[in-house]
Amino acid sequence: MNGVMGVIFASDNENKLNELTIHRTTASLPFCGRYRLIDFALSNFVNSGITQIGIVTRSNYSSLMDHIRMGRDWDLNRKNGGLSVFPPFVLNSSREMYKGKIEAIYSIQGFLRRCPEEYVLLSNSNIAMNIDFDEVMAAHLAAKADVTMLVHRAKPTTSRRLVVESEGNEVKDLYFSITPIAEEKDLGLNVYLIKKDLLLSLVEHEYARGHVDFEKDVLMKQLGSIRINSFLVKSHAAIVDDVRTYYNESMKVLDPAIREDLFYGDSIIYTKVKDSVPTIYKENACVKNSLIADGCEIDGLVENSILFRGVKVEKGAEVRNSIVMEDGKVMENSSVCYAITDKNVTVTAGRTISGYESYPVVIVKDKTV
Amino acid sequence: MKSRNKKECVAMLLAGGQGTRLGVLTHDVAKPAVPFGGKYRIIDFPLSNCVNSGIDTIGVLTQYQPFELNQYIGNGQPWDLDRLSGGAYVLPPYVKGKEGEWYKGTANAIYQNINFVDRFNPEYVVVLSGDHIYKMDYDKMLTAHKEKGADCTIAVINVSIEEASRFGIMNTDGDDRIFEFEEKPKQPKSTNASMGIYVFTWSVLRQYLIDDEADPNSQNDFGKNVIPKMLADGKKLYAYRFKGYWKDVGTISSLWEANMDLLNPKSGLQLNDPGWKIYARNSAEPPHFAAGSAEITGSIVSEGAMVLGSVKRSVISHSAYIGLGASIEDSVILPGAVIKAGAIVRHAIVAEGAVVGEGAKIGAKQKAPVAGEWQIAVVGPGAKIAPSMTVAPAEMVKEGK
Repeated sequence: MNGVMGVIFASDNENKLNELTIHRTTASLPFCGRYRLIDFALSNFVNSGITQIGIVTRSNYSSLMDHIRMGRDWDLNRKNGGLSVFPPFVLNSSREMYKGKIEAIYSIQGFLRRCPEEYVLLSNSNIAMNIDFDEVMAAHLAAKADVTMLVHRAKPTTSRRLVVESEGNEVKDLYFSITPIAEEKDLGLNVYLIKKDLLLSLVEHEYARGHVDFEKDVLMKQLGSIRINSFLVKSHAAIVDDVRTYYNESMKVLDPAIREDLFYGDSIIYTKVKDSVPTIYKENACVKNSLIADGCEIDGLVENSILFRGVKVEKGAEVRNSIVMEDGKVMENSSVCYAITDKNVTVTAGRTISGYESYPVVIVKDKTV
Repeated sequence: MKSRNKKECVAMLLAGGQGTRLGVLTHDVAKPAVPFGGKYRIIDFPLSNCVNSGIDTIGVLTQYQPFELNQYIGNGQPWDLDRLSGGAYVLPPYVKGKEGEWYKGTANAIYQNINFVDRFNPEYVVVLSGDHIYKMDYDKMLTAHKEKGADCTIAVINVSIEEASRFGIMNTDGDDRIFEFEEKPKQPKSTNASMGIYVFTWSVLRQYLIDDEADPNSQNDFGKNVIPKMLADGKKLYAYRFKGYWKDVGTISSLWEANMDLLNPKSGLQLNDPGWKIYARNSAEPPHFAAGSAEITGSIVSEGAMVLGSVKRSVISHSAYIGLGASIEDSVILPGAVIKAGAIVRHAIVAEGAVVGEGAKIGAKQKAPVAGEWQIAVVGPGAKIAPSMTVAPAEMVKEGK
């Protein structure tokens, strides 16, 4: 798709992801055994022919840089376009890091102006989905919309989800959920297609008035004066807002229909290639209903769980309803249940870790239990 | 002439082998492109060995069914071989003026690419073949070659005296200097089997290749012609003793065995080695999924595979599908193969994209090889086995049958 550039905001909801984002951005949050969340946004862009991509970071972005490097794994090491990563930009006036998307966009306006593309696709990084942006563009042009925002049908389980009320495709009302709502609504995915010039003028206008929130200060205010359309994403879209949604959305991927939506459509989700060996199942291995990445060594029990690359589960150990990230080690006769263990966590022999389904316990990166 | 493109050592990888003994597996691809170990192809081993040994300029000589291999190697990026200077070059035979012909033999293949090697003006050339599974540091061999001031160094591995008559045997003196070379001797005098890995001093080899080409009686083969001639001329040929895992996977039985060696921690074939990674072109698949009904033990399973049935002592490659109630034992399931519900697979290789129908029976359990060969049933690439059909041990099924 010529004429469209992409912008990814690498940091959102970091405060609600607690321990999981102490060492990293939301964009580099590990997901589904071998991916990072940003892989979905990057792959969707690349698969739709969008190869001019800016990534705006706020803090702790070294894990993100390590993951994307020159963008080769997404075919983004280009002469024309490719990846531009923007390290945290300290705004001169306040000596503070940017607070919201308006400031973030303002901080990269030079980059946006320099790029030849006419349209911009803005995307948060906390979304896992597999979508063709060509269809979004076609709908946008057909409706002569000024902004097209992607939505999915779901129950808002967390606060501050953007509820979108549309007639036909035209957005009539926008508001944030305050408490969980029991019925399904169209919820914003924080992905927007907009003409670059319009975006820049809207952002400049609000920035000058000290506003920071793109949804509240731009979209809600402009409703009625510009045409905002919604585009319903029918295939599965996972939104990761906090530790609990991270856990729930991860576990959903054990469902074959959802994996089909995320990974087996026409488009491939790419990620950094690590050349791990295939996983070894030893004599005592017993693995049920689990997603297992390469490079694991399993001699114990794994049930309803996700193992990332290079995880070891020793003899007599049990992993149930848990997410064990890269290089985790679950040693002999230990037990891990309803837990998220971050990268390189060791659970020593005989220990038990257990959370609850509604409150999975998180073990921070590099810790030994 | 000093050239800025100079490389101390260039590797030439003979990847043109037809691999007729692998039957249907090499019907459409060259032997080095045959899948191995769940996510690799045979050629990943010499390529990764080169890169890990610090050799960054590799000519890959192809001629038989080159497309898949060419596409697989691409710009060499998966092996870190997309370099500004050097990298991986696929070298098919080409027409030179009025002449131009297929590679007649291993030595002729290098002869036809003398110009390619000369471009890098190397001191040494490593000649490798694309049909062995092993991890080896060629740099150590090169160091030995330099220390001895050799014209040619040949890597050898110690084999049992029974096996020795299947290999080229190097008879050496106390200093490992080779005084005699015997191709598949009936009465072997030693057990130093050639691994098909040579280091040559380029200026010496270059002349021998030109002389060999001029000899109308030569078969233009390293083992049959060039090495014996160098020995006869009193050139300095040394054996380099390699210890570790090495296997020629030229037959169905040995290819199957090498896959099984991955499952056996005592086999010496250990790929999970951060210091010596084997690289492969990645298939970009999600992690594999073991369903609630799956039973997997003593096996390896690669990305994108989906297992609903039972898998024992087997290699399940990426994107393979093992249906509900299917039972796989002592077998190798290659990428994208589909084993449908209730099928039984024993001592078999099911190739890429093959489909084994519901309740089909492939192969039979075996205790020991017959006359050194396991009776492995092979379902060829893309072959479809109808439900409840039987494929006998050692039988090969082609696509369309």
